Amino acid sequence: MDQQGQNGLLSTYREGWRNRSAAGIVVSALLILFYVVLYWEHKVQQHFGIAPLTAISEAAGLRNRWYLYGFLYSLAIIGGAVYYLRRHGNSRYNRFRITVNVAIQVALGFSLPFIMPLFGGQEVYFSYFWPLKYDYLYPQTLADLPLYFALYTVVGSLLAAPVLAVLYGKRWYCSWVCGCGGLANTFGDPWRHLTSKSTKSWRFEQASIHLVLFVAISTTFLIGLDWLIGEDHPAFHRIVAGDHWQYWSIKSFYVLAVGAVLAGVVGVGLYPLFGPRVWCRNFCPMAAILGWVQKVGRYRIKVKPGMCISCGNCSTYCEMGIDVRSYAQADQSFTRASCVGCGMCAHMCPRGVLKLENTWERAEDKERQRLSVVDF
Amino acid sequence: MRIVIVGNGVAGMEAALTVRRREPTWEVTLISEESDHFFSRTALMWVFSGQMSHRDIEPLERDAYERLGFRRVRARATGIDTVGRQVSLAGGAEPVPYDRLLIAAGSRPRPGPWPGSDARGVGHFVTLQDLDWYEREVHGGASRGGAPPRADAHVRATADDSPYRFREVAAERHGRLARQPSVIGGGLVGIEAVEVAVAAGLRPYFFIREEWFWPIALDPRESRWISDQMGQHGVEVHLEHEIEALETDSGGNVSGVRTNQGRYPSDCVVIAIGVMPNTGWLAGSAIELDERGGIAVDEELQTSAPGVFAAGDCASVRWFDGTRRPEQLWYTARDQGRVAGLRLLGDTPRYDRGTWYNSAKLMDIEYTTAGLVNWNLEREQNWYFEEQGRVRSTTRVVVQDGHVVGFNMLGRRWDHTVLIRWIEERRSLDWVLGHLNEAAFDTELVPPLRVTRA
Ligand SMILES: Cc1cc2nc3c(=O)[nH]c(=O)nc-3n(C[C@H](O)[C@H](O)[C@H](O)COP(=O)(O)OP(=O)(O)OC[C@H]3O[C@@H](n4cnc5c(N)ncnc54)[C@H](O)[C@@H]3O)c2cc1C
Ligand code: SF4
Ligand code: SF4
Repeated sequence: MDQQGQNGLLSTYREGWRNRSAAGIVVSALLILFYVVLYWEHKVQQHFGIAPLTAISEAAGLRNRWYLYGFLYSLAIIGGAVYYLRRHGNSRYNRFRITVNVAIQVALGFSLPFIMPLFGGQEVYFSYFWPLKYDYLYPQTLADLPLYFALYTVVGSLLAAPVLAVLYGKRWYCSWVCGCGGLANTFGDPWRHLTSKSTKSWRFEQASIHLVLFVAISTTFLIGLDWLIGEDHPAFHRIVAGDHWQYWSIKSFYVLAVGAVLAGVVGVGLYPLFGPRVWCRNFCPMAAILGWVQKVGRYRIKVKPGMCISCGNCSTYCEMGIDVRSYAQADQSFTRASCVGCGMCAHMCPRGVLKLENTWERAEDKERQRLSVVDF
Repeated sequence: MRIVIVGNGVAGMEAALTVRRREPTWEVTLISEESDHFFSRTALMWVFSGQMSHRDIEPLERDAYERLGFRRVRARATGIDTVGRQVSLAGGAEPVPYDRLLIAAGSRPRPGPWPGSDARGVGHFVTLQDLDWYEREVHGGASRGGAPPRADAHVRATADDSPYRFREVAAERHGRLARQPSVIGGGLVGIEAVEVAVAAGLRPYFFIREEWFWPIALDPRESRWISDQMGQHGVEVHLEHEIEALETDSGGNVSGVRTNQGRYPSDCVVIAIGVMPNTGWLAGSAIELDERGGIAVDEELQTSAPGVFAAGDCASVRWFDGTRRPEQLWYTARDQGRVAGLRLLGDTPRYDRGTWYNSAKLMDIEYTTAGLVNWNLEREQNWYFEEQGRVRSTTRVVVQDGHVVGFNMLGRRWDHTVLIRWIEERRSLDWVLGHLNEAAFDTELVPPLRVTRA
């Protein structure tokens, strides 16, 4: 039978591993260790003489450790999807969304990139766009990509993604398609209540995500410039895109700081301590852009006036740390830039107060948007 | 101007916020025996199960008092001197002087009238301290979300008849957690106490005096669905049981429930037979109470004493049908708190209760109601429809003299504001059924309700 709301009661806070207990810290440490080895395997090899992930990949017939990562990533999403759907699969929205997450990861995030080279094609990821996949707009990369895919990624990143976000909110990407979001919503689900709802964390998010966006855009711009003038200006080329200073060009700094540390080590490694959307909420430049677009688009969360009992289920289970209750109890329909449209607030609400919708009739909630939890 | 508010529940806090919004410098004092922070009483069940922490059910951040300049007095108020204009406190604490006072002292659980109602292992599910007791009986204590801050700060100054006193725990005497809880009283708090016991893996007894569960809101068909749902979750629903006594063992712990139909062994009993205005502490103060114990107020929430107002569960207000009694609801407490806040500011707004509405969740079944349902109106007719497809729902529309006066909906989400508009527009049944989906508030991808008209 289809239902809309939470089925039974959750025992979230009665489970130690989900609440920063020793077990939670151990899980976090293991995840961090995994990412460190994944990104810095050459260092591990220098010090310990083995490259564990590469060894496992080869033994398993996966060409390199990135395929092993893709495989484990898919497993984590599938396992997490089972966990999530057992709790929240009574609602169609949740069921559809999570099924699409799994399908996209398995097909576009793992199988296709693995199979394409077997047929002499190039390994490409159809489910990632610039600026999340930062190199997909570098002219150097575009020149190397098959023409159809170069077109796909340019149109996808600059036109399709924002247009879809105007029509449906950033959720079409962040909660249905994106691999990072897919992992957060499945494997990360046990820890969704840990995302901070404080005003302070909101201020931090606003500063950090726009800083990363600025860095992402400038890096892309400089690398584009390097493509045009780099050959004539070797010093400029070295600073912007020099590969021989392993991590110390602007490009390699971005790869290290954003691609490896923020998206991987911090982004996933801290799931058990700070919730599953550390990366998406605080750092993802794609989320920053789609968030702006979402604010002027159709998507909103509609609040049924007068019916909220201020219980807090919505805020507790918002993985983005949005204090949904502060809007609901003030009878304010709203669109927050960071909302990924996972639908969990509406699902958890025991009084059916919230409804995700796409509509142009949003004039009434354009004025609000307070910066504090109490509107003073 | 010195504003004093007894109670930091939703009525008291809404009033304080209303005052502060306009008057940044007035002195605002909130007195509360129960808790340091404003919390949502409606959410106790989720703290119990572990779905939320104490922090999660607090609608404001914990620095709210400091940031908004509210003075917190964590103590039990024992009376009001309406001439000297001060509130006296228990435990010999300094009385708190006021220029304008709001009483927002809420409800207290109605005590069991049966022998054994005070035994160890018997309690209620209304206050934070009740939650603490029930959690310790069933779970052995608070979840990893922790206990509320300074949970026992007031214990020394409290009284035996306070609803905020801590109770002794039978499980601690037995050295094991409760195995067979019973809940007495077929209302909303009762079903919540039952549901949390189910979530803890137990199979509670649920004793209900009436012929079916919650007759003031549900008709027998609707109620049967809820009872079936409870049964599927392992609840033993005992209808038409009159309690005769709560039996105890030699150590003073509850050991069973005796009803007119039999004896039921039980090591933990929650009495949920309603609430009453929490006004016992006003005896002897010159504040007029009505026969139910509610504080008598006029349309502007003014009590019988100058400069003293009352709001929320403890106030007897005028209902839409002209009667005066307390409204024990979150929404009305909030709305009254806002009106009372304006009164404290010196305005003269009226409290007008509009068309009745409410919502609830009965186990997993969502419930929305608006207008006059189960009022046994003259010439009323009930149009009822049961949906048995992918979605299961019931729809009941009450019609009187050709126009719709009420809605009772289970299983789907509805926008009560639209339903209320239709009632006020005196729409016909035909018209309403033709437009029903305009009031739908279902989540996306849920197929719309299709009614077939008989
Ligand atoms: C388990 C449960 C579930 C509920 N669910 C719903 C629901 O789903 N929907 C709904 O509409 N309503 C619900 N209610 C009812 C709703 O919670 C109340 O109507 C509402 O909380 C009343 O608010 P209030 O501010 O009037 O009083 P309260 O929240 O009861 O606050 C009373 C305040 O007064 C203080 N106080 C009292 N006496 C003294 C004293 N002598 N000295 C000092 N301080 C004192 C207390 O410390 C407390 O701060 C529920 C109630 C319960 C118990
Ligand atoms: S506000 Fe609701 S839909 Fe948006 S991210 Fe939070 S829980 Fe998900
Ligand atoms: S919107 Fe729903 S979940 Fe959120 S506080 Fe209000 S009643 Fe609770």
